Order: sequence, then C-alpha cells, then structure tokens
Amino acid sequence: MTAERPVAALIGALGGQGGGVLVDWLVTAAEKSGYPAQATSTPGVAQRTGATTYLFELFPEKNPAQPPLFALFPGSDDIDLMAALEPTEAGRALERGFVTARTTVITATERTYSTAEKVAAGDGTVPARPVLDGLSQASGDLIALPMKELTGGVSPQWNAVLFGAIAGSGVFPFSVDDCRDAIRGKGVAVDQNLKGFEQGVEQARLKAPLPEEEDGLAYNGPPPGFEAELDQYPERLRPIIGHALARLADYQDDAYVRLFLDHLRTVKALDTSDNMTLTGEVAKRLAAWMSFEDVIRVAQLKTRPGRLDRIRGELELPDDAILNLRDYFKPGHAEMAGFLPSWLAWMVPKGSGRAGSGWSLHWPTSSAWGFAGLKLLAGRKGFRRAGSQYGEEHAAIGRWLDAIRAAATVDMDLAVQTAKAAIWARGYGMVRREGMATLDRLLDGWTEKLGDPAALKAKVDQSIILAHANPDADIH
Amino acid sequence: MDGGAAIPVKKVAVGDRSFAEEVRKLQMGAGEEFHGETILCVTKALLQAGVSYIGGYPGAPMSHLIDVMADAKNEILDPMGIQFEQSASEAAAASLLSASIHYPMRGAVTWKSVVGTNVASDAISNLASTGVTGGSLILIGEDYGEGSSIMQERTHAFAMKSSLPLIDPRYDMEKIVDLTERAFEMSEVSNLPVFFQLRIRACHMTGSFVAKDNKVPRYSTRNPVPRAEYDMTKIVLPPASYAHEKHKFEARLPAIREYVRENDINEIFPGAGGPFGIITQGGAYSMVIRALRQLGLADAFGNTEVPIMVLNVVYPLVPEQITEFMTARESVLVVEEGNPNFIETQIAEYAHRARIDCAIHGKDVLPMAGEYTVDTVRAGVAEYMSDFAPEPYAATAGSRYQATRGAVDTANEILRDHMPEPLPARPPSFCTGCPERPIFAAMKLLMRERGPMHVSMDIGCNLFGSLPPFHVGNTVLGYGLSLASGTMVGPALDQPVIAVMGDGGFWHNGVSSGAINAQWNNYDAVLVILENGYAAATGHQRLPSSGETPVGAASEVTIENALKGLGVKWIKRVDSYDLPQTINALRDALDARGSQLRVVISDNECMLARQRRERPQKAQAMKEGRAVTQERFGVDPEVCTGDHSCMRLNGCPSLSLKHSADPLKETPIATVEDSCVACGHCGEVAHAAQLCPSFYRAEGLFNAGPLRRMAHAVNKRLLSMMGAYE
Repeated sequence: MTAERPVAALIGALGGQGGGVLVDWLVTAAEKSGYPAQATSTPGVAQRTGATTYLFELFPEKNPAQPPLFALFPGSDDIDLMAALEPTEAGRALERGFVTARTTVITATERTYSTAEKVAAGDGTVPARPVLDGLSQASGDLIALPMKELTGGVSPQWNAVLFGAIAGSGVFPFSVDDCRDAIRGKGVAVDQNLKGFEQGVEQARLKAPLPEEEDGLAYNGPPPGFEAELDQYPERLRPIIGHALARLADYQDDAYVRLFLDHLRTVKALDTSDNMTLTGEVAKRLAAWMSFEDVIRVAQLKTRPGRLDRIRGELELPDDAILNLRDYFKPGHAEMAGFLPSWLAWMVPKGSGRAGSGWSLHWPTSSAWGFAGLKLLAGRKGFRRAGSQYGEEHAAIGRWLDAIRAAATVDMDLAVQTAKAAIWARGYGMVRREGMATLDRLLDGWTEKLGDPAALKAKVDQSIILAHANPDADIH
Repeated sequence: MDGGAAIPVKKVAVGDRSFAEEVRKLQMGAGEEFHGETILCVTKALLQAGVSYIGGYPGAPMSHLIDVMADAKNEILDPMGIQFEQSASEAAAASLLSASIHYPMRGAVTWKSVVGTNVASDAISNLASTGVTGGSLILIGEDYGEGSSIMQERTHAFAMKSSLPLIDPRYDMEKIVDLTERAFEMSEVSNLPVFFQLRIRACHMTGSFVAKDNKVPRYSTRNPVPRAEYDMTKIVLPPASYAHEKHKFEARLPAIREYVRENDINEIFPGAGGPFGIITQGGAYSMVIRALRQLGLADAFGNTEVPIMVLNVVYPLVPEQITEFMTARESVLVVEEGNPNFIETQIAEYAHRARIDCAIHGKDVLPMAGEYTVDTVRAGVAEYMSDFAPEPYAATAGSRYQATRGAVDTANEILRDHMPEPLPARPPSFCTGCPERPIFAAMKLLMRERGPMHVSMDIGCNLFGSLPPFHVGNTVLGYGLSLASGTMVGPALDQPVIAVMGDGGFWHNGVSSGAINAQWNNYDAVLVILENGYAAATGHQRLPSSGETPVGAASEVTIENALKGLGVKWIKRVDSYDLPQTINALRDALDARGSQLRVVISDNECMLARQRRERPQKAQAMKEGRAVTQERFGVDPEVCTGDHSCMRLNGCPSLSLKHSADPLKETPIATVEDSCVACGHCGEVAHAAQLCPSFYRAEGLFNAGPLRRMAHAVNKRLLSMMGAYE
C-alpha cells in the first residue's frame, strides 16, 4: 500500500540559531536512508535575528513508482512535526494553523525575548508556560526540551539537540544512526553536535512532563534580633518583610532597619485591606527604595565576596586562566554631589550633561588596587546619612508614605495603588531624576486630589501603566 | 580634513567562506545525479547550456550563484574560457548582455527582482528594442511574499511592457534545469532576452536532476569572436527604433509562441476531463497540487482527475493553447499570484474574442494580491470546486476544507484559553555585536538632546535602525538613494539633509545620485556611511572598498578617495564602537551648517564576518597552547534596577531579560547571554547615556606566560585578604 502523503516538518528558528544546518542534516539523513525528500526555507532578511522557518518533507516509502510531489509552503492541518528553538515560535506556528491534533511538537522551553518585550520599562515578557500548556493540549504530542539545562547554556548545540529529538520522536522513518551519520558527514563540530544529538534522542524517549512552575524567588531571613518584630506581622508577610529587614541591615545598620519598621508600623496601623495587602506592598517597595543605589552601595555590591568567582563561572574560566574585569562607571554630577553633604555638593562641577560627555571609568575591579579602591568606598556607609542624596531620597519617601496614609483613610485600593507608584523611584542618573519628578507631580497637591478619590485612582492607575510601558512608544 | 594625503587602503580579510564543495559539484559530468538547492542546479544548467559569460549583482535569493562563481575561477571559469563579473550594480550586470547583441554568445545575468530589474531597466529596455543574437538569460529571484525584504511588486509587468518572455517554471528540479537550458534557445529563436523567474522558496528548494557535461562555449576568452561587427539597425535611434518595435510584435513574440507550442513548454494534465479546470502559473503548480491533495482530489504524486494547464511561460501567452483548453469547459480557475491579474484578463480577452462560453474565475475566489501559499490557494480552489466543479469533486472539496478549518480552529481555541494575547512577532534586527547599531544609539541620544530630526535611510542592514528600539529613520526610497531622497526635506524642516547609507549603497548608486548631486548643488547635508566592508546583508560579497576585487585580487578603491575626488572636504572616520567619538562627530557634522556635504564614516567590520574569521583562529591558538583572551560583557543582577533603558538604546540579541530572584525587584533585570561577542556597545551606551553602573567587561586570559601567572597569584592573594572570595 502506497503512502498517501509526505511526512512534513515545519521548523521555526531565529536567525543565527543554526536552523539551516539542522535542515541540511535532515536532508542528508533522508538521502542516506533512501527516502525522497525536499527542504526549503525563507531566510531573506529574517537571517538577521528575525524568525525563520524551514519546511522539510519526506515521502515515507523508498523508491516509489512515481516521484512524489513536495510543496514549498506548509499547509494548515498538514504538518506532522513542528520543531521550534523557541516556545512562542511554536505558538505562532499554531496560530497559523500548523499545529493541530496530528502534529508532534518539539520545542525548546526557554524564551528568547523579542525586542518588543525588552523595551517595555516594566515587565513586557510573555511567559513560556501558558504557551507550552496550550501547545501540549492542542497538539498530538509535545516533547519539551529544557535547552539551557541540557547544554549548560551553550547555544551552538541547540540545533543538534533538536535534531536528536526529531530523530528520537519517530515521526520520520529514517533511523537514528542515519542521523548520526549525517552529523559526521557534515564534518563541523562533530563531537559537540553528536553530544547534543544524543541528549535530544534521550529527551524524546523520556518525554518528561513540563516541570512544576516556581516563582524562583529567594528570600533572606531577618537579621538577628528582629525575629520578635517580624512576629507582629501576619505569617504571609513574614518572608518579604524578613527579606526587607535583611536587605536594609546589609545596606546600612540596625538603626536603619528600625527606621523601616517605624515607617511600616504607621501603615500597618491604618491597613484594613484583605490579607494586609497594603502593608505587604509598602514593605516591598519601601525596602527597595530605602536601599537606593548610591556610589557607596554600588561599591559594596561590586565588591561582594564571590562576585569575581561568579563572573569566572560566566566565562567558564579554568583555575589557571586569569580574569581581567573592568566595571563601567560613569559617575555623573548627581552621583558625585549626592555623596557629599548639601553644603559641599554645589562644588561638584555640573558638566555639559550632553550625551557622550563626562567622566568615563573602566574600573579594574579584578586588580588588587582597583578592588581596594571600591572596598574603601563601600566602607564609607557612615557618611551616607550626611550626603545630600540621602536627604532627598528620604524626603521623597516621606511624601510618598504621607500620601499612602492619607489615601488609606479614604480608599484602601487607592492606598495600595499609591504604594505601587513607587516604581518610579528606579534607575540611575537621568532615569531616576525623571522618575522621581513624575512621582512628585503625581503626589503634588495630594490632599486636594483626595477630594475626588475616583478621579485620583484613575490618575494613579494611569501613572502605573505608563511606568510599565515603553516610553518610546509614542514615537510611532 | 587635509586634502591630498594618501589614505591607506583598508583591506578586510574575508572570512573562511569556501564554496569548494559547490564548485566541485558544478563539474559533474553526464549521467551523474546532481543534488542541491535550486539556485545551484540552475548554475549548473547555465554551464550545460554553454554560456560565454555570467554576471550579476548579489541579492537574496540569487547571491549564492555569484558567490559560487566567484570561487570557481581556477576550476571552471578559466579552463572553459567563461567570463564572470560581480557587477557594481544591476544596471552594470544588465549591460553585460550587450555582448549578445551582435555576437552569438550565450550570456546570463542575475539579481533580486523587482528592485534589481528597476535598476537595470535602462539597459533592459534598450536590449529589448535592439534584440539579441546570442541567447540572453536574465535570472531573477522574485522576492515576493514571506521573507522578502523589499516592496511587494512583481516582475510580470516589466516583462510585458518590454515584450520580454517570462518563464515561471513548475518547481520540479528536472523541469527547472531543462527550462533554463531551453531559455537560451527561446532567446535565440526570438532575438529577445528572456526573464527566468524563481520565487524565494523555490531558490532554496532542494532537489536533484541527472547532470549533463558542461559545454564549452563557442566563443570565449579561449576562442575569440573573429571580428568586431557594425550594424546600424542595431542602434536604438530612429528609424531603427520603430522597426524594433514592429519586429517585436510581428516576428519576435510570434516566434516565442511558436517555440512554446512546438516544444510543449506549457503543460496540460487532462485529468478525467469534465466541464471545469485550472490554469496555473508554473510557479504556483505545486501549491495547486498540494491544495488538491488536501482537498481529497489528488494523490501524493500529483495524479488528479482535475484538468490542469500549467503555464511555464507566463508571457507571452499562446492564445490558441488557451482557447483550446477552454473550449467545451463551462468554467476555469486561473491561479495567478499578484496584481494586476494579467493572465486572467488576457484569458478573458481570448475567450471573448473567440466567443467561447467559459466562465473565468480567479481573483473572485483567490486573494486579490499577496503571496499564494498552500493555504490561500486551497481556500480559493475549495471555493471554486464547491461552486463550479461537478460531483463528487464539489462535495469532497467542500467537506475536506471544512474539516481542516475545524482542526485549525480547535487548536487556536485551546491556545487562546491558555494565552489570550497574540504571541510576539519578530521583525529582523541588527545581529549581536553589529557595528551599525551604535550609530543609531548615537542618533537617538542626539534627538533626545535636540528634538526629532528627519533621517533618510537606505537599503541594507542600516534600515533596521528605523525599527524598534531605535526608531531612527523616516523614509527609505532605494539603494544608494538616501542622500538624494532627503534633499527637499532638510531645508523644509530647517535642518541639514541627514542621510544614512551603507558602503554597499554608496558604491551602488550613492556616490553619483547622492554625493555628487549634493556636492554639485551645494547642499547643506550630512551623510553617514556605515562602512562594514561587505555587502553584508546579501552574504558578505566584496565591495569596491573591501580592498579586494570580487575574485580576491588587491584593489585600491576607497570611499575617502572617491569623496575627495568630488571635492568633499569635511570627512570624519569614527570607530563605530566608540560611542562618544561617534556622537561628537555627528554633533559637529550637524552643527557645521552651510559647509556643503559633511560625511561621517562609521567604520568597523561586519561582526558576522569577523567572528567567522576569528573564531577558528582562536580555537586553533587555544589548541596550540598560545595565549588567548576571551571576552564578554555582563550585568550585575544586584545592581540592575530593571527599568530597561539600556534595551531602548541597544536592541542587541544577546542583551536580554531574566526574572530576578530578589523579591524586592518588581521587573525583570537585564542579562547578557552567552552569545555576547564583547563589542562593548552595552557598556558604551550605559556610559554615554549615563544609565547605570551595572555593566562590566570580563576578559579571560588563557595560557598566560609565567610572569603573568606569578603576578596573578600575588593579586589573588591580595584580593583574598580583602575578602573578595567566599
């Protein structure tokens, strides 16, 4: 009985992920095994990091009486295998009709974020999990490849892993050995690719279920001596408040932790929200704000024990290799002046403030003297309270807390949203100045604005949406 | 700039990009099975047809032909006496065909269409008028539909207005190769150059055919034409030009029609007969067959009961063939991609004149324009079959179509339940480490300082600057035309004319239409040239300023010399990765109002090419135990506050996001992925825009000498004493 149709695979990759090589392997494996096959692609401009698709069709019968006819385009509900190096690319194939109940889907589980997702000032990312769940239910079968876990993050092998999973899925009639031969025949990075290939074969065999979702958050416990304070808060809030206390103890000292608790207590006293949502929101944002990153803090973070080893790990440096680390600092007027008390801050030259001007440092943190310099700066914690930035930040924190407390007496939801508006206190330099100015404008004349809570709520909501959006979006 | 000083010729060492395997295949002899992508199979067909010369301008999807030929000098071109040129533009490539006007030499030229055809149009029109003696083939990559990088037009109209035959072959490798060879005969019997069109996917399609021996051309560098010929009737001047036009319609096109008819170039698959049928372009045939198979009306080998006529030559049509097919049919469906629907309207005209009572369907059931994919064709064919085909075809097609729709809708509903929002699209962008990225960061920063400016863009990778995250670039008009296209805009906005152009665009047309025009007219203009050393977007072909000829000999053409020759005095060359230098040069150029044309050359080699060359070198050095450094950038997760301002000035694929483990961080933080090539742009942006101190550059030194290692040990001990390690 002759086969009714070719077996079709649609492969979705991003430019530079090696989709072309993968298709070469498939074509070679088909040739070796004696099945008629055809491949085609649309590289075009997509080779520059855009989405690229490849279509591979194989007729599952050797030496058919007539040559089978292959197509240049995938047809909807006519794809046996959708293989993607990125989960939303598999999802997009589904949107276009190329994943249906007849389709086996093999996809990398890790997201490669698109530009549109990256440029949002808030969280513009599309989560992988719902896409994978949708694919899993809509398709005939799903083989998920946790690529980073499998390859230790070495992306050049991803296409080999995918090839292995394709070979192992059994969708095509050629043997796994024919595929191994195809990799050997190509003669490029054979050992590495074969290693990836075997991992893919194994994954197709395992068909591991999608892992449980985790939030991936790591909470630090409270510093010693503050356990009793923590017990005064509902159990649900203890991890985040404990983490906040630990952050501030590390940032400054126990007195600073107590200042935080004093602030938080005044909010808690007014909090009638369900589960004390308001207190939780304020705790999280107040701690982040109170640990604002001035030059002392940055020096502290850059000289953290273990940082140099972490970076060695990123480069996969063996013990005998030498690490040369340069930190990119550009202390602007605000950072320098912020370090000094306000009666001295005026002395720091303002500079032109133009793009590309100012003082650029490529600081050699991996050298003993470079490290020592930062360490010295990090040890100046004691001076922080005298600095002009400290005064300004805490004045702003005070205005924000006043607004929250005032709102809490009128409308609890408004108070929670006001707490969230602290997102504007972020970044460095110009970004921070502009954000703080935006927040100031929002809080300006708060008491009068509270006269119309509905209008104010709309305004605060709007401000938060704006804070998360792409600030360049209005350019379109 | 001081005039007259010698400018050192910049030479890019072209990366290890070998086409030796392809060149070997092109030497296959009779009876061997040739397997490869269509574009390579067609190249082989040219050699089998005995071409004397080949030329072209690289552009996807035809670049591969040029790449392979440029590598084939010793093995194929020289021994066979074939001349080859990678031309400076499509106009230059088309001009090569002039050799076939007087002399019986076969020649082939190639480019991306419709854009390349536009550039070449002057030469093609003249050639079409004069006519040719030797077979002349214009191979065009029809860049229409998905993956295209150009405006959506087709070449069909061009073929019609110049009366040039247009071959649109059915996508079967034997057929494609056969028709490529026959195209030369068609050209010779009709004295017309012939267009041979391949769509993007068809160019990249793999397949096989049985090879023939390559044919040594009759006339070549090894066997010159006996003497130069003169014939006044071949000059495009009155009265000859009127005679040319008459000849086209009285002799040349009829000769083509006769050839097509006599040689069964168009194919008829009669099926089981019946009152219906499909007339399709050759290039759409495989879509029609796949659609029929999915609708239950064809098998996997293309056997079908539906009568089909395949037009492998879509211009000129052969009216008798078509009226014969339509006679005794109540209706036909014309499957013709794009608009205007020239074939459908001509067929309607034939039916009308012949008084044939056959309903003609086409654009009423198929999309008005756009690429015809399997899905779009299937929808149209299903509608035609349901409404006009006899039973059982109508019922089968209708129910199968609904079944497919149902399966697709079900899958989409399931996905939407989990993920209500549509998934993100991925427009193309600059590659990791691209040297063209910083100039757009610089422009965006300057616009923050002085408000929006109108920037005219050019063809090539540079055009990605007008996409997110940069949003720099207001118009694009053509290759090498950015400067010219800005001339009426700058003064109207009271700003200098500001144009961006790649080195490819500069040499293609920019030097004449842009630089000379601006200089001669004394325009207040700033031209930014992105010199990356190659025609990078089309696959790293060499350029006049690459320091090498297309086949690798030394060349001394430079951009500065060309500009100085025109009298341009204000030229600054900047290191593209040096952002402050770039910003300052741009600022100076913009502020030097009234000093004619100012040119900023942003200089650095295409990172793809550089990596292709340097990676194997480093791997080799590492293997041999020589000192090697490995660099990358990084972001300290604790320092990044997650506002993503760095992303909005960068867009690097390796600068990405990750979710922070710190519960106090609300938004994802920046991260540099392993694919980083340490161009340093992220660090430079953080500096120039005073964003944050999160970025660092980490360099690993492998196989260091004993002195360095000793210093390292001391350093490590000191660091350890300061608590640098856990």
